[in-house]
Amino acid sequence: MAEKLEDLNLPMTVVTRIVKEALPEGVSISKEARTGLAKAASVFVLYVTSAATNIVKNKKRKALTGQDVLDAMRDIEFDRFVDPLAESLEQYKLMVSAKKASSGKKKDEGDDVEMIEDD
Amino acid sequence: MSTPKAEKDLHLPLSRVKTIMKSSPDVEAVGAEPLYLVTKVTELFVTDLAKRAFKNSKTSFLEYKHIAEVVQEDDTLDFLREIMPRKITVRQFKAIMAKKAAKSGGSDESSEESSEEESSEESSSNNEQD
Repeated sequence: MAEKLEDLNLPMTVVTRIVKEALPEGVSISKEARTGLAKAASVFVLYVTSAATNIVKNKKRKALTGQDVLDAMRDIEFDRFVDPLAESLEQYKLMVSAKKASSGKKKDEGDDVEMIEDD
Repeated sequence: MSTPKAEKDLHLPLSRVKTIMKSSPDVEAVGAEPLYLVTKVTELFVTDLAKRAFKNSKTSFLEYKHIAEVVQEDDTLDFLREIMPRKITVRQFKAIMAKKAAKSGGSDESSEESSEEESSEESSSNNEQD
């Protein structure tokens, strides 16, 4: 899937949008800071992934679950994200089941939602 | 048309996050739920990092050095240290190298990377001492 190297980076425009929402209005962000944050986010994805995979391995399971991602947060000492993330997981589960209930048997290909928004 | 479902509240593209996750050697398939959570937590992470970095800025301008500072000071961000070294000036770099050479060309490894771009002298110069 990852054919090009850029595919392993998160889109900077999107990361910048998130940052802007986090900061007070009128704050400007240097180009280098934008690049840095986007890079940091990309590396974070891998960091979390490997922490979660370790958990899966230790439990001798195969598939990665949402709970593994939550547990990984504790392992890498990002406990402060556990609560908000647990909440998101609940919401996610609700949404999924609501969706299932409403759309009957509309096949959801879950994994592969194409949502490319590189701007 | 299938509307992307619960992902509406996310900004980052799931497909890209998935690609990155799959680039990890131990990962074969990524389910929708872990994918959602990893994406979500990455957004939390960026928000958090940006906010903390911004506290280091005295103006309304967020710069690289503000982020690097957070990274260098928080041990849980150790995984970012290689990609976000604290920048130092050429002069500082030369001073460090000179100090090293003076120390009998010892075997300490260099942990700081120099960059010539940053021109403002940073006050926190001596982070290289061992």
